[in-house]
Amino acid sequence: MESFEGAVKLMLFIYALAAAISLITAWMIKYIFVVIRMQKSRAEARKSATANAPTQRGAASKGTA
Amino acid sequence: MPEIHFLHLFQGIATMVASDPLIAAARILLIALGISFVYLGAKGTLEPLIMIPMGIGMASVNAGVLYLSTKTMGTIFIDPIASGPEKLVDVLQINFLQPIYTFTFSNGLIACLVFMGIGAISDIGYMLIAPVRCMIIAIMAELGTVLTFPLAVGLGLNYKEAAAIAMVGSADAPMVLYASLLLARDLFVPITIVAYLYLSLTYAGYPYLIRLMIPKHLRGIKMDQKTIPNVSPAEKITFSIITGTVLCLLFPVAAPLFMSFFVGVIVREAGVKQYVDFLGGTVLYGSTFFLGLMLGVLFEANTILNPKVILLLFLGMTALLLSGIGGIIGGYIVYWISGRTFNPVIGIAGVSCVPTTAKVAQKEAHAANKFAMILPWAMGACVSGVISSAIIAGIYVTLLQVPSP
Repeated sequence: MESFEGAVKLMLFIYALAAAISLITAWMIKYIFVVIRMQKSRAEARKSATANAPTQRGAASKGTA
Repeated sequence: MPEIHFLHLFQGIATMVASDPLIAAARILLIALGISFVYLGAKGTLEPLIMIPMGIGMASVNAGVLYLSTKTMGTIFIDPIASGPEKLVDVLQINFLQPIYTFTFSNGLIACLVFMGIGAISDIGYMLIAPVRCMIIAIMAELGTVLTFPLAVGLGLNYKEAAAIAMVGSADAPMVLYASLLLARDLFVPITIVAYLYLSLTYAGYPYLIRLMIPKHLRGIKMDQKTIPNVSPAEKITFSIITGTVLCLLFPVAAPLFMSFFVGVIVREAGVKQYVDFLGGTVLYGSTFFLGLMLGVLFEANTILNPKVILLLFLGMTALLLSGIGGIIGGYIVYWISGRTFNPVIGIAGVSCVPTTAKVAQKEAHAANKFAMILPWAMGACVSGVISSAIIAGIYVTLLQVPSP
């Protein structure tokens, strides 16, 4: 039976559900973004560490000699 | 030489004379309304992309009524109620716009084509500036989409019709078309026309709402441009593919819309220039043109004489007004959450209507403070509005239309 009271209840349910799904989607987006950023910065750090490594080794070997 | 009767020669006038006075008056009114839409569209008061084809369609279809047989009146534009294979094949060969209606309109394809185009011109990266804040605004801006539903039921519409007209509050006309086709096919023409009519007025109406609800010193808050991250295309594609898939999984009934939007976004971010030009140009504007033309042609005298039309006009306006108010309240909520550093004008952009509301927000902020640049955040709220609207459409259609297993 379609009634005004029923419509109000349905409205509350729909709004709550839409808000929950939308916010979960937003958090999901946020965390995907954070994870991608972290992976990127880790990769950059690894890259710079690899780039610095031969120089350090070279300096160390020079020191030993 | 055969005897020539003036009224046989000019059948548009003959049918007007022969028909019910109310129908004749409605035809004259709609012809005048169509002409005024063209004029206001060309002048820039109303959205010209929709209003010019819609206006010429309305004027032409209401003028061009003829005798299809000795007793039947009609047009050779379109027959929206034709059903059954035989009848359909007949009208497809007679009515010149019937193929477009049958193959793109009645199945919602045209709404999906518009969504592909919107996706291709939307930079989803703006949403990644502050996804949660943008979504809070977008959810608040759905106030009209939900509050209008019980109001419409209280005023005598059934649940499906009420949900279809409430979708006007989402300020996303292709979404309104799609939802009303699924929920209230009998009312989809007036509902979609109401949506397009009011949406073309948002550019004129929302600035007053912003000025009414937000004092000038808050409208001029400058946003910190340094907080805008540089989002790579790969990140945007990752976001689009995951979000699109999850939303399709949750709401299969709105999956064509989600897919259409995100395929546009992905094509853009993948840098496939040929497709971007095609979707964002030919498809978007071609679909918008035919959408306007078809809506105009479908707006015959009988449509306006439906007593529900006045109710739809009232409810449509209420929905958009409530969504605008909700969006600004959302802007205030984020303003408080952010420690009063967020410009609440951005809230209006959560109403969606890409990119009109974002432009309105920027224009109002700039008018209050010429150094206030809020467009990236407003676009983020706008894109979030598209997603939240699609979610609500999905819920409405799933709950009210799709049969339970």
